[in-house]
Amino acid sequence: MSDWSIFRDDLIEQMPLILGGLGKTLELTAIISLTGFLLGIVVFYLSLSPSRFVRSIIRGYISFFIGMPLIVLLFLIYYGMPQWGISLSPFTVAVLGFTFNVAAYNAAYLTTAHNGLDPVEAEAARAQGFNRLQIFKLITLPQVLRLSIPALTNQVICNLKDSSVAFLIQYTEFFARMQEVAATNFQFFKAYFFSALVYLALVSLIVLASRALERRYILPT
Amino acid sequence: MPLISVHNLVKEFSGQRVLNGINLEVYEGDLKVVMGPSGCGKSTLLRCLNRLIEPTSGTIHFRGQDITGADVDIRALRQSIGFVFQQFALYRHLSVLDNVTLALLKLRGMSKAEAEEKALHELNRLGIATHRDKYPSQISGGQKQRVALARALAMDPVVIFFDEPTSALDPVMSREVADLINQMRAENVTMLCVTHDLRLARQISDRVVFLDEGVVKAEDTIDHLCNAHSDSKINDFFSSGVRGQ
Repeated sequence: MSDWSIFRDDLIEQMPLILGGLGKTLELTAIISLTGFLLGIVVFYLSLSPSRFVRSIIRGYISFFIGMPLIVLLFLIYYGMPQWGISLSPFTVAVLGFTFNVAAYNAAYLTTAHNGLDPVEAEAARAQGFNRLQIFKLITLPQVLRLSIPALTNQVICNLKDSSVAFLIQYTEFFARMQEVAATNFQFFKAYFFSALVYLALVSLIVLASRALERRYILPT
Repeated sequence: MPLISVHNLVKEFSGQRVLNGINLEVYEGDLKVVMGPSGCGKSTLLRCLNRLIEPTSGTIHFRGQDITGADVDIRALRQSIGFVFQQFALYRHLSVLDNVTLALLKLRGMSKAEAEEKALHELNRLGIATHRDKYPSQISGGQKQRVALARALAMDPVVIFFDEPTSALDPVMSREVADLINQMRAENVTMLCVTHDLRLARQISDRVVFLDEGVVKAEDTIDHLCNAHSDSKINDFFSSGVRGQ
């Protein structure tokens, strides 16, 4: 199994680059999970607007970004926008593209959870004299977020996995570095198998965190 | 001067008249019971009085001020009206205590200590303070209605509205709610209760307002209404209750 020792030596030699890539993967995943979460809440809030105009804009936003392949969106911003004089760094493009996309998905999850709520609680809050934003913050959102923990953490897993797409716009994350390892020794199976194990390990961590979060916030029945 | 005075109140939903010229007065210390069959507009009437539903026309005077205008501070109006719902409508993600303190903290700007003291006072008054840390899903229907009433009372309302307070409860728990309403009456709380539960009506009041097809058909004692009334609608509604007794 001398193949394995060659692969191991290359892996160790390139470890600083691989770890750097892993750091960039985690950085991108963490940032888009947070920005996508926050923008998702804003989009969800606007989707409850009394104004029909605002609601239709939001419906359009969600349909557009769920309907558009992420890779097309990233290429459009990274390779297309410079023709209009707007050049952004790979990192900026990745954060922008992912955030719009992830927010649309998150808003859709929150809407689904909201459809399952009993509207009488919001009516009771209105009858108590709370305004729209207070009802959203104090009644609607805490309930909707609890119900959406599985869907929202699932989205974080998707974010981690999809972040590998960012190498196509020159963002040198973990998967890009592993491709370089594969290219130096042509041990494709080993390189990509190793990549798969790393992604699986990270996803397992997210799943564990998600379960802990659910246990922490579950309402007694 | 009446506390609430409703004059010729009309509410249309896409052309259909649900309220067709309601006239009603509630005086301070009153317990007004409004009865009627399902769909007669009882709940719509209550919701017009605190503007959860916008009336189409007519006037509503609350403490002498017309509250149907555009320049009325609706949220201040609502804060002075306690509302107890049929389905309890407790906030399910909050404990019993937090259900009562929420409005005190966020609308009255009380400190946490002040709000909890006030809330515990109301919970004690209704005999439910021992359940303060439970969630709504962990208490019975009758207990939920006590919490809902405590939540309303904590805001020191001018009047309390009950919207079918017993229709989600079994007879034993309904009796509990009737006792609560009688307790409030003894403490001189002004109340307006809509219900189709004749048993509840008998337990809390001897007079009722009968609402049908969007108008007040009669205001009389239950005994009179139950005794072979000339109006067939009234007869139908109240005779079922006679058999039930």
